[in-house]
Amino acid sequence: MIAREMFEEFKARFGPLIDRADLPSDRRLYVFVDRSAVKYVCQHIFRELDARYVITIGADDRPFSGKFLVAHNFAFDKDHLLCSVLTQLPADDPKIDSITEMVPAASWAEREMRDLVGIEPVGHRYLKRLVLPDGWPENNHPLRKDVPWNAVPVEFDPDREFSFDEPPEGCTVVPFGPFHPTLDEPAHFRLYVEGEMVRGCEYRGFMVHRGIEKLAESVMSYNDIPMLAERICGICGCVHNVAYVQAVEEAAALKPPPRAEYIRTIMLELERLHSHLLWTGLACHILGFDTLFMQSFRIREPIMWIAEKISGNRKTYALCVIGGVRWNITPEVKTELRQTLDKLETEWRAVVSAVSKDRNIQKRTWGVGVADKDLVKEAGLIGPVARAAGVDIDCRRDHPYAAYDRVEFDVITEQGGDVWSRLLVRMKEVFESIRIIRQCLDKMEVGPLQLQISDELPIGRMGLSSVEAPRGESHHFVITGENNRPRRWRVRAPTYQNLQAVPRMIKDQQIADMTISLGSIDPCFSCTDRLETIDLRSGVTRVWSQEELLKLTRAKKV
Amino acid sequence: MLSVGTFVLISIIKIVIALIVLLTAVAYTVWLERKVVGHIQNRWGPTRVGPFGLLQPLADGVKFIFKEDLTSPHVYRPLYIAAPMISLIFALTSIAVIPVGNWVTVGGIHTPLQITDVNMGLLIVLGITSMGVYGVALAGWSSNSKYSLLGGLRASAQMVSYEVSLGLSLIGVLIMAGSFSLRDIVDAQGGAYWHVIPRWNIFQGQIFAFFIYLTAAFAETNRIPFDLPEAETELVAGYHTEYSAMKFAMFFMAEYANMITVACLASLLFLGGWHGPLFGPAWLQAILPLFWFALRIFGFLFVYIWVRGTLPRFRYDQLMAFGWKVLLPLAIANLMITGLIVALKS
Repeated sequence: MIAREMFEEFKARFGPLIDRADLPSDRRLYVFVDRSAVKYVCQHIFRELDARYVITIGADDRPFSGKFLVAHNFAFDKDHLLCSVLTQLPADDPKIDSITEMVPAASWAEREMRDLVGIEPVGHRYLKRLVLPDGWPENNHPLRKDVPWNAVPVEFDPDREFSFDEPPEGCTVVPFGPFHPTLDEPAHFRLYVEGEMVRGCEYRGFMVHRGIEKLAESVMSYNDIPMLAERICGICGCVHNVAYVQAVEEAAALKPPPRAEYIRTIMLELERLHSHLLWTGLACHILGFDTLFMQSFRIREPIMWIAEKISGNRKTYALCVIGGVRWNITPEVKTELRQTLDKLETEWRAVVSAVSKDRNIQKRTWGVGVADKDLVKEAGLIGPVARAAGVDIDCRRDHPYAAYDRVEFDVITEQGGDVWSRLLVRMKEVFESIRIIRQCLDKMEVGPLQLQISDELPIGRMGLSSVEAPRGESHHFVITGENNRPRRWRVRAPTYQNLQAVPRMIKDQQIADMTISLGSIDPCFSCTDRLETIDLRSGVTRVWSQEELLKLTRAKKV
Repeated sequence: MLSVGTFVLISIIKIVIALIVLLTAVAYTVWLERKVVGHIQNRWGPTRVGPFGLLQPLADGVKFIFKEDLTSPHVYRPLYIAAPMISLIFALTSIAVIPVGNWVTVGGIHTPLQITDVNMGLLIVLGITSMGVYGVALAGWSSNSKYSLLGGLRASAQMVSYEVSLGLSLIGVLIMAGSFSLRDIVDAQGGAYWHVIPRWNIFQGQIFAFFIYLTAAFAETNRIPFDLPEAETELVAGYHTEYSAMKFAMFFMAEYANMITVACLASLLFLGGWHGPLFGPAWLQAILPLFWFALRIFGFLFVYIWVRGTLPRFRYDQLMAFGWKVLLPLAIANLMITGLIVALKS
């Protein structure tokens, strides 16, 4: 079904409850529905049309339309269609029916919307704070336009401790993070254990909130933001860089020159290569197999070098601007890249054949951290986690962007849904990435790298962009705005969805399996945290206040 | 007979030498491990301190001494402090009964190359190493931390279970030697069949027992792939999570001292102790047994390190299942077959 047919179908079913729609292309549908119908439209889309839930976005649109805006984004992967269900809410009554009951995957997004924009999801059963620290005042919502980007409310109490739920009866709490040898990033899991068995867990994250989205909407300009966006993630930064730029380009109806699209594809695949190699190494480290960890990093290193040759940086390529890219791939680099890929392919084949026969690794990963097809659907899981459960989705094929519609590749799927399947999927995807880059190098045509843009970008247009990050779909939503900057920019990193399923994946497993189960989604907590609050870390449970700690460190120096 | 004075003097000299050699061996096993694993893993290992990083153990020792000794306020202090000592003391004590060579005569005094020659040597070693579990269990308990407690529990369960297989794998050797004295066991392995195959126990049908012993020894000393008590990716550092500075170093030294003890036992019981070709002048003939013995220990330790670079960690339940369901029946089967053969022979 293309967008128009989809809209006709909504119209036929819901009639007057559908206000209007915006159909910029066959692959995008923005449909405005009446507040009372949101719940039913979403249910229809998610259950009967079997769409995949992507994200819910709340926006403060009061300065422009006098209303709040809520968008529920869905993806029809087989129809290559991204659909946004939008509703406007009156300024004095920002309440909307929660869809979490029908679409469990929406739980976090709705909690976040309540925290940051102050739109109340009515009927949500677990409205605990997700993003804001517990010491943050109840009536202050940082993403509202009347809250300055650099203001900290006077009532804010940075020393207030987290309030945690009561553990179930008979269970002991084992804290896991924010400081733990296998958690390289801050996140806190409270594991409820019975002996060595995990019975449940509570997650508290969002500790490295840096207010990126608020900053972008308040002080930066269109071409600054790509550089900020790639700093969301240290591993798959280029994904965010490209996703943001594509969302803006889509909103402004710009088409970058073909050579730029090929270069974007090459850099994205280089990033996938190094990310998958890094993950394989880390997974082996978690399993206590440091030799393969080191070998993976050895094999990965030349990719970093070639990236440095192209962009001047091992990571954080600063690749895109609106309408193009900044780095060219010269003939010398091309030759070198081919050699690097050949070497990588041989070495990686050796690793894959060793690992796929290793009985010990199999024993540790078979049937561990299982996410089956149902969980994938309910929790909106994406990327290798979904593909390992036999769900055949991949944004590169389903929602093609850059030059992915001009290259051939296979989407790797496995059936087990366990850690072992995820390992296989990632290891095999490396070969597909190599294949894609080779095709790009062959097909890349000579031409300009950037569009010449002289006009101001149109205002109030919406753009969606889904980019297949190494960890899954990274989704960016942009509403263009005044002053050469977006009005609203929402990032949904892949871990945001995948992390929500971790408590289900680790339930009734041994503590020993917790780390590899968590590791198998390739978690990237800081990506998930990104976000909009204002230059303050959320109040982690701690003995020392920030000020005391500062005093302490200074005292030691003297 | 020796006078009391000479006996005490000789004993003290032997103890001092044994301790120095053992502790140096511990330090350089660590160095060896870092070097070998480093090269397996595409790294250099220590290179900065001294040639080939040979002074690294000294630097580490100094570092441990000067590190801040943190004691968390929630620990149960008496046991918290005693635990690393218990571990280290028992790890070092077992060396007392281990013979490293034949009797020697120095300055008219005829004495064995062994701190004390007891006829129950093997039992004493087994008894003492089992006591080492207390150090680990008490450390886990007295730290009052969940990671430590889980680590301590795992460690004690693991060590106790694997000790059964370890002990049973040795009984075959005992049956063949007919003695508990380590010296007698070694003596029984002297010579060679047809001047080619040495009469070591592993060539006398105990090869099976040797591999059971090897596996159990890995678990007994908490080494990869059985290093679950301190599985860093799960339990931070297991039972020694709350320990720092010299207290941690004691656990660390105990672990390596245990490795050496286990290696000594393997050489004595299965690999013919100090037996080996003797040649050259008398002084060389006196030293060669020591060398052969050290070579075996080195080989055994190398295997330890090699395995660490090659295998991933087991999971706790898999480890326990393996110990009770596979290793123990195998050890019992080996014991029965050996017993049968020995009985039929006589």
